[in-house]
Parts: sequence; C-alpha cells; structure tokens
Amino acid sequence: MYKVGIDVGAKNIKIVVMKDGEVIAKDQCLAGFETKENTLSLYQKILESANISESDVSKITATGSGKKAAYFAQNSITEVTAAAKGATSLYPSAHSIIDVGAEEGKSIRCDGNGKIVDFALNEKCAAGAGAFIESMGRALELPIEQFGELSMQSDKEIPMNAQCAVFAESEVVSLMHAKTEKKDIAKAVNDAVASRITSMTRKVGFEKDIVLIGGMAKNTGFVQALKKGLETDIILAKDPEYISAIGAAIYND
Amino acid sequence: MATQKYKTETLKCWNKAKEIRMNFYKKYVDAHDNGGLRWAGGAWSFGAIPAGLGNDIFPITGEPYGASIAFNKEFSLRCLEATERKGYARDLCSYMRSYWGSIILDEFLFGGKFPKPDFMWQDHICCSHAKWYQVANELEGGGIPTYSIDVAVGPYQDVTDNKIDYIVNQMHDGITWLEKITGRRYNDELLIEAVNQECRATSLWAEICALNKGIPAALDEKSMYSLYVLGTLEKHSKVVADFYAELLDEMKYRVENQIAATPNERCRLMSDTQPPWGFLNVFRYLEQFGAVSVGSLYTFGLIGVWEDKPDGSWGPRETPQQKGIEIKTRDQALRILTDWNLSKPEWQHFYSPHIKSDMMIRIAKEWHLDGIMLHYNRGCEGLSLGIAENRLALIEAGYPVMTFEGNMGDEREFDEAKTMSRIDSFMETLGMKNIV
Amino acid sequence: MITQFRDWEQNRHTYAKAWKEKTGGKVMGYFCTYVPEEILYAANILPVRILGSHEPHDVTEAHIFGMFCPFCRDCLAQGLKGKYNYLDGVMISQSCLHIRQAYTSWIKHVPIDFSYYLPMPNNIQSTHAVKYLAGELAQFKVAVEKWIGKELTDEDIKHGIEIMNENRGLMQQLYSYKKNENPLISGEETMEVAISEQMVDKREHTPVLKELIDKIAGGAGSKNNGTRLMVLGSEDDDIAFIRMVESVGATVVTDDHCVGTRYFWNNVENNDDYLEAIARRYCERPACPSKDWIERSRIPHILSLAKDFDVKGAIVIQQKFCDPHELDIPAIIKALNAIDVKTLFLEFDVTVPLGQFKIRVEAFLEMLQEDDLF
Repeated sequence: MYKVGIDVGAKNIKIVVMKDGEVIAKDQCLAGFETKENTLSLYQKILESANISESDVSKITATGSGKKAAYFAQNSITEVTAAAKGATSLYPSAHSIIDVGAEEGKSIRCDGNGKIVDFALNEKCAAGAGAFIESMGRALELPIEQFGELSMQSDKEIPMNAQCAVFAESEVVSLMHAKTEKKDIAKAVNDAVASRITSMTRKVGFEKDIVLIGGMAKNTGFVQALKKGLETDIILAKDPEYISAIGAAIYND
Repeated sequence: MATQKYKTETLKCWNKAKEIRMNFYKKYVDAHDNGGLRWAGGAWSFGAIPAGLGNDIFPITGEPYGASIAFNKEFSLRCLEATERKGYARDLCSYMRSYWGSIILDEFLFGGKFPKPDFMWQDHICCSHAKWYQVANELEGGGIPTYSIDVAVGPYQDVTDNKIDYIVNQMHDGITWLEKITGRRYNDELLIEAVNQECRATSLWAEICALNKGIPAALDEKSMYSLYVLGTLEKHSKVVADFYAELLDEMKYRVENQIAATPNERCRLMSDTQPPWGFLNVFRYLEQFGAVSVGSLYTFGLIGVWEDKPDGSWGPRETPQQKGIEIKTRDQALRILTDWNLSKPEWQHFYSPHIKSDMMIRIAKEWHLDGIMLHYNRGCEGLSLGIAENRLALIEAGYPVMTFEGNMGDEREFDEAKTMSRIDSFMETLGMKNIV
Repeated sequence: MITQFRDWEQNRHTYAKAWKEKTGGKVMGYFCTYVPEEILYAANILPVRILGSHEPHDVTEAHIFGMFCPFCRDCLAQGLKGKYNYLDGVMISQSCLHIRQAYTSWIKHVPIDFSYYLPMPNNIQSTHAVKYLAGELAQFKVAVEKWIGKELTDEDIKHGIEIMNENRGLMQQLYSYKKNENPLISGEETMEVAISEQMVDKREHTPVLKELIDKIAGGAGSKNNGTRLMVLGSEDDDIAFIRMVESVGATVVTDDHCVGTRYFWNNVENNDDYLEAIARRYCERPACPSKDWIERSRIPHILSLAKDFDVKGAIVIQQKFCDPHELDIPAIIKALNAIDVKTLFLEFDVTVPLGQFKIRVEAFLEMLQEDDLF
C-alpha cells in the first residue's frame, strides 16, 4: 500500500507517494487560484504516471498553509510537525530544522528523537522568505535561478535593513540609483534574508546538525550567507521542497 | 489519552458583573444630572484619591474603554483611522488611539457624544500614560485640568522611604489641586473608606485567582476577563469589593464540587499581556484540544495584589484591615495606598523582566501548567516590555512556550488564521489532539 | 579641524581600552543621558555612552520584541557581540521603556562587575522631583563608593561638577557660533564633536574643544552657506545621514537631540548641597519627551532654538516605534509650522535608505528655496 503526503504551500503544491519509507513518485505545480482543483489534478497525475490506482493508497495526509485545499486527504498535520518529521526521518542527527519557503520561514528545534522542543515562524512580513527574493529579482531583472549564483560572485558587505520587505525594497532601489553592481545588490538581498532567518534561529536556539529544507535551500548565495550568519555548517536536504510532504506521508507510521 | 469529563456550570454572578460594568459607564455619563463630577484617567491611577471629593464623583478609565471599543470592530476601525488622520503613529498604544478616536469623532461607544470629563487624573506607568491625557486634553480643545502622578520609582523589592515620599508628596499636592479645580472641600473619611475598599477588592481578586490552582480550573481566562475588568473600572469602590466577595464564595463552591470551566480539561496553559480583544475565540479554539488557559500574570496581577504566604505559596496580600490597622489620617491613607499599589505584580516588570519571569515560573509551577502562550502584543509597549526575556526564562525553566503576534486593540495587526494554525502546531508538540 | 573628534568617534572602543590601560580606572557604560556623569567623574570612572553601530545584526531577536525601537536593539547587539567587553559597569537612568530593555537584557547576558538602575523621576515638573532625585543620587553615590572602595568627598563631587560644567559650557559656546551667518562649522562636524564628548574623558575632550573654538573665533574653517536647518527628534548619531543632508545644499545649524543640545544645554548651578544641585540640573535640562508632561515644555524650547538659530526648516526624525517622540511629533510639527518653519518627517532604522531620503531632502530644500523666491 502507498502513502501520500501533500504539501500545499503559499506558492507551490508538492506531492510525494511513498512505499515502505521510500519515495516512489513526486511532483509539484503552482498552487494558483484554483488550489483545490490543482491539488486534485496533481494528485491524479502522479498516480497515473506512477501507475498506481487510488484504491492502493492507504492514507493521504495534507500539510502546508493551504492544506484545506487537499480536501480528499484523511488527515492533516501542521507544517511545523511535517517539516520536523520529514527532516528528522531523512536526517536522524538533525536537532535544528530551518525551513524557508516562498512566504514563510520557520526554525524548529528538536530533541535527538525528532520531538519538537521549540519553534518560531516569521511574523507578518515576508522579508525573510523566498517571495521577497523573487520580487527583488524582478526589480533587478534577474531570473531567480541566477540570483544565488550571481550573489556568490560578490564579496561586498552592503548593510540592508531586513526588518520589513517594503523598507528593504526601498533600499534596493536606492542601491540601484547609486549604480551599485547587480551582483552586490543580489548579495545584499541574500544577506538580509539570511540575517532575518539567522535571527529567528538564534531566538529558538540551535544545535547541530542543522538541516535546511524548503525551496530557498536551492539558492546557493542564501545558503552561504546563512552558514556565515550561524557560524556553522548546514546540511542541505536533497529535494528540499519535498521534505514537508514526506513528513506528512510518514506521519503516524 | 483518556478524556476526563468534568461538570460545568455557568457562573451565577455572571450577569451581575455585566450589570456593574454597564452601570459604571452610565453613572459616568449621567454624573452631571445630579451635580456630580466626571473624571477620566487610567485603570492604574489612584482612583481612591478623587473619591474623597464626594460620593458623586464618577470615573471613566481609558484602558477598559479602549478594550470595549476593540470589541466593536466597525467603531474600532473608525476610531483608529480618525487618530491616524490627526497625524499620530499607528504603532502607539491601541487603547490610547481608540480612546482618542472616540474623542475626535465625538462619539461614545455606548451611544451619544463623547462625555467630556471635568478633570483628568492619571498616573504615569509607561512612556504613554501621562502623555495619553496630555494629548486627550489637546484633542478636547484644551482647558481640562489634568494631573498625573509619577510612580516610576523602581521595583517593590527596592522600595525606600525616599521613593514612597516622592509618590505621597505628589498625592498630597494632587489633593490640594483637586480642591482648587473643583472648589470642593476634601473629605478624608471618604478617602480612607476608598483605600480600605481598594485593598479589600484587590486582595479578594488575588484570592479568587489562587483558587484556580485546583484541577480542574474553576475559571478559564476568557471568563476572568469579564470579571477582573471591574477592578480596572473602579477598584476602590465598595460595589466592586462586594462583588468579588460574592464571586469568591462561588469559586469556593466550584472548587469543592469540582466544577470546571472546561469539561475536558487535560492541558493547562497561561497567556500573557492583554489578548487581542476582538478575537477571544482563540480561547474557545483551545477547548477543542481540552486545553484551558487558567489565567496569566496579567489577569492575576493587574488588579490582584499578592504576597508570599507562610507555606511558601503565592496568595492574596493581607489587607490593612485584616492586620488590624486602622487608617486614621490622610497621610497614612496615602502611604498605605502607595505601598499597596507598588507591590502589585504587574508593576514590577517595568523595571526588570527577570522579576516578571520569576513570577511567571512561579505561576507555572503552582498552577500546574503544561505550556505557555505569550501574546507579543504590538498594542501595548508597557506589558510587552521584556516579553522576549520572559520567553527565554520560561523555556529555560522547562516550559513549552508558544508566541503569537497580535494587538489588543487593533485588529489590523492580528492574523487569525495564522494564529490558529500556530496553536495547531503548538498542540501537536504538546501531544494534544483535537477532541471535538 | 575636527580630525581628533572624528578619530575618537570612529575608534571609540580603542580609545576606552587605552584609557583604561593608561589610568587603571574603571569604565562605566551608560544608556541614557540622564545619567549623572558628575558622580562618575568624581569617582574617576570614565562614563561611556553605549550607542549602536548602524549595522544590521541578528542577535537581539531572542531578547527584545521587534516592536521596540531599532536603537535599543542596536545598543544591545553591541553588548551581545562583545564590542564593549572592556566595561566594568553598566548603568541606566530611567527614561523610556525601550532603552530600558537594552539595559535589562545586557545585565543578564553580558558578564559585568557592576550594574545600576537609577530611577530618575519622570514627573520632572513636580516640585518634589529634585528632592527625590537628590535622594536617589545619594543612594547611587553609596553604591559607587562601595564598588570603588573609597568614599567620595564633597570636594570630589565638586570636581566632577566642574569637569562636566566646563565641557558643557564650551559646547554651548561652540553652538553659539552656529548662530552666525554661514557658520564655520558644519552640522556633520558638530555631530562628531557631540558624539565624541559622550565617550571621551572630558578632561581630554575639553582642551581640544577649546582649540576648536579658538580656531572658529579666529575665522578659521570654511563657510557653510546651505539652507539653515535644524534636526530634532529621537536619538540620532547618524553621521552619514547628516553628511548626506549637507551634501545637497543644507547646513544643519542646531538640533534638539540627546546626542546634541539636550546633553549639554544647561549646567549644574552653584549650591552648597552638591547632590541637590546635580539633581536640579537633570530635572531642568531640556526634557526627553518621556518626561515632558503635563505641560509641553519642549515646544517653547524648540521654537526658541528655531528662532535663535534662524532656521528655515526642520527635519523631524524618529526612530521607528519610538513612542515618546511619536507622542510629541504632531504637536511639534504644528507649532513649528505655525511660525513658518516647514518640516520634513523621516523615520529612522538601524540603517537608513540614504538614496530615498536624499530625494526627499532635496525636494524639501527646493520647497524652502521657493519660499525665499516668493
């Protein structure tokens, strides 16, 4: 029998199909406006491409800020539990999990057995999350895939105020007016987001190993800044955006 | 996990509490009809002092009025926006902004025009308190006599004669000032009576809260809000003290008979700071997990006055009357009033978050708590002061802590869905499942 | 002209460490300008004001809720990062709640030998404030004596007063030259002098300040002929900001800041009771808004500054979330506008977006210049 985990995030829907603790199939799509329909069709698409019939699925668990869109799931868990569960099952040595997605950053501290000790989420402002990088990427006319790479080419330290996305954006505009190089601005943005996440992680407290999950783990410049901020190494999860979906799938196993 | 079912009963004195509250506002509005006087000031102010001007002196306290406005979302938004249009910052105290908005709009929450006070009588506990009425007077067009007493002399544990003298001297001046601006002769007997009633009411409230140490909790925090509020309106009045005496009897009955606030209590929490008043459903939501907030330093210690009891526990402070002290002079009354108020738990954290953390840990132990929900309240810099240090200390003491940001009186700063989802996560970490 | 002051300001930690090494004395970090430095000088302790660094940091989130001002968080960050590891003591004199948190978190998380919370009265308009503060100063003096293991005599206190008075008097004199047309010292330069006096031994600062005044009195220095502005509001030691303002055609001729005039505006007057004299000075100095009630004493003071220094406009700055200033700013703007002093309001954070602010300042100056044309 198969188990399915569905993570309906602020921007993307991620689904994994698991059997005996292994991921058999996975896929993602934009959440869009018609989130319910998109969730169902992605689910059906995955089953179809993996040649699995719905009756072979023993359990569907939903998570993520839009988890209600997965109305056909039997269970749901919060994104905090899903992230911790997924990360600690794949990386049993994890004591700290940092999850940075499109609109939310979270920091979770676990004991050695995967039990959550404390957690923090970013508050109303998305300055500490991927959507902010995306909008800055638009301002810099820089495709998001290149954002991290380009920022790695800079060795400048340009201080930016990351308390508020709007305020930070105005700083980016100031830098552009001052003819600051694109790579330096990209680094300043990554540093600012990383500083926000570091700040939150320090609030919760952290212990090795630290595992980074969520889409932002693919932004190399951000990862570098985060390591520098925390003054320690970080394990980058493989397929980082699927970890919470995996956590949902195996929840209560 | 097995669910234990407890009996529940609605509070018998519930309606009486509502009646006293509404009557308070009515008496203020109608004061002039019989030649009486209205004064405006804070819930923390030394209300027992103007009481010496006569039995026809009626206050309106700013914080509970601001909280009442927050319940009415339409009016609340209009008030907040009116204040913003006058150029005042959106991150100032939301009670204050609501109160000012009500003046600017010249609309009273309970109907009619905003009833202008004859004088303002305040004390200065945080950066905003005295300035609240400085601006209120300007918004009223100026000319309302305004007096404010500085109480910022440090924590009670460090109190000295010099500190007490400073406050008492301001009170003496205040009485001279009251006589001058009202043309009335001050009656020390009435002052002494009010001081005695205040000590009685605030000690009784502490005794009521102490009974919530029992399992199951006889009161949940959401209900407490409707009861402690009377102390924020007129803590020096006999009506309030008598009501708390009646409530205490009912509490004793509930504790003896294991009557619970939440039928499925299996997880005990406390909160901190004022709640987002427009969203008290947060507390109902907790009940779905069998979780109950049994109080907080805020609900216990804003009105309640406490002390260490001989057995080492925290309990109601013994009143001067209980100690057999008879207040005979004005100066003695003012000294007792000062000392009593300076010992109030909610006054200590203004000087040290660490004193507050110790009190919170004490509550967590004595009230048998499983976790703590801290409201990082953007609406009140005073009570959110040091809250991050409180969080660290509670975690260090071994208590799971959840934080959520919000605002007691500005719903634009509260994200309901996100808060509920955070509660879900917190309940999961505590191993609590939804049982409804 | 201000090389030495700039060097002190930029290398404040190096200076304090060297001072300590040289004198073997103790260094006290303080959080608010209501701290009675007279008593510290009497005890031969170097008072050093703790300021922020204007660099983003990630260490205070766990300690201070983000609704409190960036300045108090920036100050605490310096302690948590060990920048002030040479301090022997820290103290605060009571003013706003925001900065109080920097102090309370500091004493818990940064190891320190001595700490003191001085409950400076807020009701400074009360006739009882001076007596009360004098009593608190007496208690503070005892704590200091215990700490240094030496009794402070009247002569010591008198000496402390003299050191402070002399420096303050010279700062007043320096500012008086800023009343002149096209003053010979810029706002940026004045700010360097004003910041450095809060962290350098006044006995070293004073002679250099005298030299500066002599030079200006002798006509040295270049003329600053920009549009005459004042800056006022929350704590402000943002030199980069003042430099930007002056680079686009303004001259900052005066201020109402605690790094600035509020710090040195009045002296301790002669009185046989030295502690009472000190207490009176702190109660009567230009008020911090957290103490400016029930009367608004700041408004007549600010208006007289505006007139005496002949300012054309005022930049009102506020640290984000600074409640005390938020409670004064609408009334101050109204009062300034009523005497035809136009205002520009700007909100400060740990770093300020200079590019954005530059556009606003330029537009503001254009507006003021148009007024001159018509």
